[in-house]
Amino acid sequence: MEKRQDLLTGLIFTGLGLAAAWMARSYSGAGGTYPMVLGLALAIFGGVIALRSVRAKVNAVRPLSEAPRNLFLATVVATGYIALVMPLGFFTASVLLMLVMPVVLGFRQPVYLVLMALVFMALVWVVFSAVLEKPLPPEFWSTLWREA
Amino acid sequence: MGFFVDATTAVFAVGPLLAMFGATLLGVLIGALPGLNPVMAIALLLPLTYSMEPLVALAMVAGIYNGSMYGGAIPAILLRIPGTPASIATTFDGFPMAERGEAAKALKVACWSSAIGGIASAVALMTMGPLLARVTLFFGPAEYFWIAMFGMASVGVMVGSDAVKGILAATLGLLIGTMGIDSLSGQPRFTFGQTWLLGGPDLIVVLVGLYALPPVLQLAEKCDLRGLSSAQLRLESVPFAKGELRGFVPTWLRSSFIGIGVGILPGAGGNIAAFLSYNAARNASDEPETFGKGNPQGVAAAECGNNADNAASMIPALSLGIPGNVVAALVLSALTIHGLQPGPQLFHQNPVLVGGFMVEMLLTSVLILLVGGVTATRMFAQIQRLPGVLLVPSILVLMCVGVYVINGRPIDLWVMLLAGLAGYVLEKVNIPLAPIILGMILGPMAEQSVRRALLISRGDPTELLTRPLSAVLAFATLGMIVWPMLKLLRGKRKL
Amino acid sequence: MTLKATLFGATALTILAGAALAEYPERAIELTIPAGAGGGTDTSARKLALLLEEKLGQSIAVLNINGGGGSVGTSQFIQSKPDGYSLFATWNSPLTTVPQVQQVAYDIDSFTPIASTSETAYTLCVKQDFPASTGEEFLAELAANPGKYTYGNDGIGGTMQLAAERIFQARDIQAVAIPFGGAGETLQNFLGGHVDVYGGSISPVLPYVETKEAKCLLVTSAADVSALPEASGLAAVGLGDEETLLWRAILGPKGMDQAIVDKLAATIDEAVNDASYVEFLASKGEIPNVVKGDALRTRLQNEYDALAKVSKALGLGQ
Repeated sequence: MEKRQDLLTGLIFTGLGLAAAWMARSYSGAGGTYPMVLGLALAIFGGVIALRSVRAKVNAVRPLSEAPRNLFLATVVATGYIALVMPLGFFTASVLLMLVMPVVLGFRQPVYLVLMALVFMALVWVVFSAVLEKPLPPEFWSTLWREA
Repeated sequence: MGFFVDATTAVFAVGPLLAMFGATLLGVLIGALPGLNPVMAIALLLPLTYSMEPLVALAMVAGIYNGSMYGGAIPAILLRIPGTPASIATTFDGFPMAERGEAAKALKVACWSSAIGGIASAVALMTMGPLLARVTLFFGPAEYFWIAMFGMASVGVMVGSDAVKGILAATLGLLIGTMGIDSLSGQPRFTFGQTWLLGGPDLIVVLVGLYALPPVLQLAEKCDLRGLSSAQLRLESVPFAKGELRGFVPTWLRSSFIGIGVGILPGAGGNIAAFLSYNAARNASDEPETFGKGNPQGVAAAECGNNADNAASMIPALSLGIPGNVVAALVLSALTIHGLQPGPQLFHQNPVLVGGFMVEMLLTSVLILLVGGVTATRMFAQIQRLPGVLLVPSILVLMCVGVYVINGRPIDLWVMLLAGLAGYVLEKVNIPLAPIILGMILGPMAEQSVRRALLISRGDPTELLTRPLSAVLAFATLGMIVWPMLKLLRGKRKL
Repeated sequence: MTLKATLFGATALTILAGAALAEYPERAIELTIPAGAGGGTDTSARKLALLLEEKLGQSIAVLNINGGGGSVGTSQFIQSKPDGYSLFATWNSPLTTVPQVQQVAYDIDSFTPIASTSETAYTLCVKQDFPASTGEEFLAELAANPGKYTYGNDGIGGTMQLAAERIFQARDIQAVAIPFGGAGETLQNFLGGHVDVYGGSISPVLPYVETKEAKCLLVTSAADVSALPEASGLAAVGLGDEETLLWRAILGPKGMDQAIVDKLAATIDEAVNDASYVEFLASKGEIPNVVKGDALRTRLQNEYDALAKVSKALGLGQ
């Protein structure tokens, strides 16, 4: 058991539980009692985990990530993707993601990469836009096009 | 039973047969692609069916519904990403099997179990539908409360090695389940003034993030640039050993029974059926400790349970006009648009159509065997040949499109990302994810039904225990908690 | 000369408007429904969308957004562009009832009213063995036994509950309200005998009236409803002023082009009065009812004001 990790986890949940219970104060009747009890329970379980970690004698290593650099890169690219889907449009952002993510993670076969991105996105387009006609976040250039 | 002959004849026409075949295949694909789920697919496709022959339209619903329940098992086994909420329990043993190099076998077990669960359920729908529908009426709020409690008791099997952390996860799920408008008092809870939170966070959005993102991040960590070679895939078909199939029969019987039982109750549903079946299989097993470590019985129980829920969930819809879940509501809506009126007379209004739909539910279950096995191994397992780093963005794109089309809401994408990152960390610190989802599903059901029951009894809590049926269910729940403990004690004494 | 000029002007205007119209609709329209797939509003809207698709020559994509009694979908919809490609199919509750009990970020002015489509009443039904056989006897039985009977409704502060409480208030009746997740759930609990009175829309309970399992004694409209011959309208029990209806409408976001609104309203009018739609509505106990444009705005505003009074009196308001 990783002592530091468990201590932090426990404390976070204690805080979360107490915050929830605090917020539930303003809710009336049984609709308030229930979440308050849940919040307090969460705080107690969090406390138990924190307390247990302080008392634990063994401190086995348990790394949060096996490859922190890759994890970090993937998280940043994924977050960037979600942030860009609305402003750039779904298909633009997705093609970018399909091209950028593998390269960032060290993939070096440009032809394979571009082919995969195009074929896959074409499939998604056929299913969602052509067959189902689901409105997806619009492409930024589609409005430019119309204005021009 | 004469009308089933007519109904079957009507179904055995080119249109419905083709539709069933195509839709089952499509269903398997939809179930298998992370981010896409059957409810969404049926809701999206249904408008296309309004202008079709009703039996063809219903064939598509049946195929997608049954196919996707099995399809969900494919990524659950290969990538540890449950394709649908109902296949969470399949990951418990399916993924360890795949890690051991038994992916092909796990898929085969899942395929057979799904088909058998579906067949059992369809037979129940055809033979006992109206009778079972009447049974569901005995279940009032007090009984629903105990059903939810019964489900919560199965948290025991998924808490893993650390009980406190498992219960903490369940509590967190229950707390998330209270977010949104409290339907009994009308007050918003934990909405932080955000209108989109009035309905609470969308279960599917949270599920996709929580379950699909951590495996994707782990794929990125592994940074696999080449993909598995066909030798590593080991997908050559493994025939069942002699007597192996017979070993699954008790599990299949038990899971079918549970799946049908949960399915007929409006509002319960396939997610719970899979968990309960898994739990029951573990409790019945001589070696419960092997569950969660790649025991094929676990895969069989979960997959049989979630498919056995399908046709049964149509029972209250078709016999009473009360839809138990969204798919059933969509089927009723389709029937209404085709000019039928849901209710107890539905069957008499058009026995060929309603009977035909039942036959289609049966046939598409059988089709899983035919279509499912082939797609799973020939097509889907091939995904593992792709370099992992290409799989990472592809799954992300599917998650994004799947989540966006549910509500057309950008904020849902952030909810998904946040849930996913939280899920990654929680797993790393040994907090199991399954109880969170279970809490989110069962929490609202438990809270609302107990408060409704108390409103009806004017605040008298004894009603929860003294209506004959509620007493039986309370007793069963107690048994569910005590039984594994007794077994554990007895086992220790033997040592 | 002046006449000629006026004529010319009018023609020019028509042509201009026609030019804007000629292009509409040139792509798919998205129809937001603030309720889950498969429910009453959803089914009516989807059926109507089929007819509209035919008449407009463009496809209509339906987006269901459930939650908050309709307020989640409504709040999301008002942010869409008023270009005629985002439309909203709703029932009256999210616009006139929900704002009474929830803090919402929209009001009636956030919309461009296009046209209402159909209307129906809520109904109160009991089991066959209930000691009453007319609306008047039903109310008398409830009044004589305060707190004895439970009635299921569509949710706390929902239109159904307000509709019932208005009547109960007028007759000094105390019945215990049990909120359920929707009419289907209410029906299940009513049939199973877990609640005494079914309160909800007409269509789910209709088959059970035919099988004589349920008897519907009261509807919340002033007039009687032909689908339920046993039930009294409120006028018949002297409560005509306490009428509350369930009705459906199609709206757009604030600031839509008038030419497009007119074209849509005319097309909706045609579609609603299509024989197949009228028949479909009748099977659900609904009747077509088309109120267009500003008249629809007035109707919404009046209902909002009336319900504000009721909910304040009930202590439901904020």
